[in-house]
Amino acid sequence: MTKDIDYISKQKFMEELYRYKKGSVTRRHFLNVTGLGTASAVLGAAVPLLRAGPAFAGDIGDRVVLATWPNYHDPANFDAFTELTGAAVQVNVFGSNEEMLAKLQAGATGWDVFVPTNYTITTYVGEDLIEPLDTALLPNYDPTAYNPRFAEAGSVDGKLYAVPKDWGTTGYVVNTDHTGGVVMDSWKQFWDMARAEFSGRGMVHDYQLTTIGNALKYFGYSFNSVDTTELADAEKLLIDVKPHLFAISSDYQPSMRSGDAWMSMAWTGDGKQLNTDMPEIVYVLGKEGGEIWSDYYAVPKGAPHREAAYALINFLLDPAVNAKEVLFHGYPTADAHTNALLPESLLNDPILYPAEELLSPLEFGAAVTLTDPNRAELMARFKSA
Amino acid sequence: MSRRIRNFLLLAPAGAWFLVMLVLPLAVVIIFSFGERGPAGGYVPAFTLAQYANLPARWAAFRNTMMLAPTGTVAALVIAYPLAYFLAVRVSARWKMTLLVLVIVPFWTSILIRSYAWIFLLGGRGIPALLDLIGISDLRLINTPFAVLVGIVYGYLPLMVFPIYVSLDRLDKRLLEAAADLGARPWAAFVQITLPMSIPGIATGCMLVFILLMGEYLIPALLGGGKVFFVGNALVDLFLQSRNWAFGSAVAATLVIVMLVTVSIYMRLMARLGNGRDDVSLM
Amino acid sequence: MTNTPLDDKQDQTQPRVIAELRGVTKRFGTVLAADNLNLSIGEGEFLSFLGPSGCGKTTALRMLAGFEAPTEGDVLLDGAVVNEIEAHRRPVNMVFQHYALFPHMTVAENIGFGLRQMRPRMAKGEISDKVRRALDLVRLPGFEDRRIWEMSGGQQQRVALARAVVNEPKMLLLDEPLAALDRKLRKEMQIELQNIQRSLGITFILVTHDQEEALSMSDRICIMRDGRIVQIGTPQELYDQPISRYVADFVGTSNFFDGTLEAGSGAIAGVKLANGITLGGRPVGAIAAGDPVSLSVRPEQIGLTRKQGGAGALPVTVRNRIFLGEHTEYLVRHETLGEFFVLAPRQSELSEGPFNSGEGLFASWDATAALVLTRK
Ligand SMILES: Nc1ncnc2c1ncn2[C@@H]1O[C@H](COP(=O)(O)OP(=O)(O)OP(=O)(O)O)[C@@H](O)[C@H]1O
Ligand SMILES: [Mg+2]
Repeated sequence: MTKDIDYISKQKFMEELYRYKKGSVTRRHFLNVTGLGTASAVLGAAVPLLRAGPAFAGDIGDRVVLATWPNYHDPANFDAFTELTGAAVQVNVFGSNEEMLAKLQAGATGWDVFVPTNYTITTYVGEDLIEPLDTALLPNYDPTAYNPRFAEAGSVDGKLYAVPKDWGTTGYVVNTDHTGGVVMDSWKQFWDMARAEFSGRGMVHDYQLTTIGNALKYFGYSFNSVDTTELADAEKLLIDVKPHLFAISSDYQPSMRSGDAWMSMAWTGDGKQLNTDMPEIVYVLGKEGGEIWSDYYAVPKGAPHREAAYALINFLLDPAVNAKEVLFHGYPTADAHTNALLPESLLNDPILYPAEELLSPLEFGAAVTLTDPNRAELMARFKSA
Repeated sequence: MSRRIRNFLLLAPAGAWFLVMLVLPLAVVIIFSFGERGPAGGYVPAFTLAQYANLPARWAAFRNTMMLAPTGTVAALVIAYPLAYFLAVRVSARWKMTLLVLVIVPFWTSILIRSYAWIFLLGGRGIPALLDLIGISDLRLINTPFAVLVGIVYGYLPLMVFPIYVSLDRLDKRLLEAAADLGARPWAAFVQITLPMSIPGIATGCMLVFILLMGEYLIPALLGGGKVFFVGNALVDLFLQSRNWAFGSAVAATLVIVMLVTVSIYMRLMARLGNGRDDVSLM
Repeated sequence: MTNTPLDDKQDQTQPRVIAELRGVTKRFGTVLAADNLNLSIGEGEFLSFLGPSGCGKTTALRMLAGFEAPTEGDVLLDGAVVNEIEAHRRPVNMVFQHYALFPHMTVAENIGFGLRQMRPRMAKGEISDKVRRALDLVRLPGFEDRRIWEMSGGQQQRVALARAVVNEPKMLLLDEPLAALDRKLRKEMQIELQNIQRSLGITFILVTHDQEEALSMSDRICIMRDGRIVQIGTPQELYDQPISRYVADFVGTSNFFDGTLEAGSGAIAGVKLANGITLGGRPVGAIAAGDPVSLSVRPEQIGLTRKQGGAGALPVTVRNRIFLGEHTEYLVRHETLGEFFVLAPRQSELSEGPFNSGEGLFASWDATAALVLTRK
């Protein structure tokens, strides 16, 4: 889907290394699983452009610092922003929301804009780490152009704290060469196959939110359940399946590509990449539901270049700019203005833009789901079982 | 300059380093371990033993670690000793340096990248595919305890090889001649002279590998497919996923205690083995 | 066996040959450490290798022990070629030049090491008995449980000796075993070694720098130089009939007057010295007129007198006098021949009284006591 991700020869191990090296990984990738995300790289320490007078209305300073995920923005857009405003964009990439939260809690990040995922926003508000957005400074933000479910998650108690960037789903990928014609469409099938025909071939995320959430879906419970009896059911299922799993890992692309794994929980981006390169691998959304997620732009409390922060968000929300962003990172956007500029083929792609009846049962992950200690302990028991 | 001032100046950098890099973090960990987790994770000051009371929840991780660390150490020793012996005793001086460098070269790349090489080698298209050609089919290597062991032995080999190499290289070859002269067959000379004389190297290597293995998390995560859960993995999850710093600190503090106890038992054992020998230093 | 001229003539009188070197050469790269060694060693014999540092003594010993294989030639033990037999299979023990004691073992464990290797196994009690006796032998009683590093250099050397002797090998190779001992202890140990050798009947091969040690202890001495054996013989033979200036210089002390051999035949030959003087001496070995030779005169062969002597008497002045008890050593100077030593027995002193420094005297010796030796 994206131009920069180009698997020419998938068999080659070197490709995988290359892929790792250039950071062309989806978020929540093994960087965070392995804990190496903490060593986040500062990608674009910018040299401020010395230009004769800013072309932008008002001087916003010479830089703006953005905390985001790997390979999530078109660098050409940043160049254009700098050209326009005189402010260079400095990018810090992260491996996990938890890591971002930890950094902000520790204070003095120097960030101006960051990219939180839906379920963390209430936490940031609760911890008083995030600033309510002044929509007057974001003329390109048109709430009416968004599906309300995306726009709503950016607001807490009626106050807007974050504007949608792009979104995605959590389903699973399955290699149809091994299904013998069976069409998979549910989480029930996923878990049952994993301990039967696909024993030793299935993978689940090393991520409490999705692994437990999708196990809950087997029973038809909410993805976000923190109910102890429901969690007990999920635990039983997980412990039952564990001996049959190929791996518990969020880095499932290499194993799916090599053929070692036949089925894995997957996020939109990985599903799309795998399907593009190996059409026999399909991306499935469970008909029982599951997760839908969205990333947002937000401004942390005490951003050193507040004006530049607004300028950058506003710039990236410009439908023409945003369309370029989508073409680069390959995730769908909820902004109708942007979608109007995207090619038909993209909008009709069943992985990026699934049918409405598949989307409607999906749930946004809740903050409490992520922070619930019982779910964390359940995950630990599952992993050490 | 008085001797006292000179000693102080000599020790000050190491002391400062020790304080900043070891004592302070450990103090923080211990303070945190008596605290509580905040509603959104992190740490809330408190004084409670609840985190320690909750330790049995990570019993499996500790059990796995206490099995992995000795097994991995022994496996590394079994592979490293013949290699170190070969390098120190059998290889001519001319080739020694080259071969030693070859042993270290893998250390120049990150363990992550090297583990990825093993993911490929042990994966379905690697060694199992080759074995398939000779009729051994359906062999699963990747994401098994065996793969973890391979990764560990491979990753820690230089740490084990070097101290053993040094002790074997220092060994006076004339002692072996004397043993042979007194009628010891090569194997008897090895058991009675070479092996005991290389105990300092073995002790050092085992100690290094053992301590590092107690905190290992990366290799099990990558080569064990996340299905093998050690204290290191539990810590990564507690600090980076569920953000339960208080409990994480209690687990970390316990790990340090377990390490100290194990290491002191080990030292005592070594001391008994050395039994007042001045040629056997413990570290 | 093809005996070279150097091979000693005592072969027939020795009861049995226990070890033999036949044309043995050893090269380390370009270094020729042993050059065509031929030697046979009789059972129970005490043989010494004597020579300067680096002449190949240790190398010869190591080939007998089995640590080095000869580049050419054969090593024989008990009549069998053992070139390919490893050290641990040879009934030979060695006392190493640098002791090579096992630092991780006690004194008793070191000494008992060889006994513990024996198969069938020797009983523990027997081992400790033998160890104790060996310690008594080297004058270290009660040192069983000492650690090696707790011992002085000399004590370590004696432990090394005990460790080899305790096995009662057929042949004991000793590489400068007494070098680290003080004079008194060395003397005692020399006697002890001789006692051990006689009482156990072991063949001893001793490497030493110390000519006095070699002369006092050995049945035969093998003088080496640059990897070659120069001469083998009993101490007396070597002293009285050295075949070259090198040997005469090495065994005892001698005065040498360099010159060229004059033509002539008979028991006494003339040597024309650098200053034109011609002195007579007994020619030794294959030397021809015109060869560079040395006239060797032992200090004790020279007589000193105040009286004007015979035709051959040389006028000298006393430069120095050293009283040695039984003997007095004089350093005298001849106008053209230079300085030389004279050893006068006490008797002669009594008859003419001691000579004083600066006194003019006459020195003379019997021409048959002077040897004409090759300088090569
Ligand atoms: N392993 C070796 N490699 C190369 N050269 C050697 C080796 N061993 C001995 N040599 C050389 O062979 C010659 C004889 O050495 P050897 O040790 O036999 O002398 P040595 O007579 O025992 O001398 P010292 O009285 O000093 O002990 C020397 O020139 C020495 O440098
Ligand atoms: Mg020597």
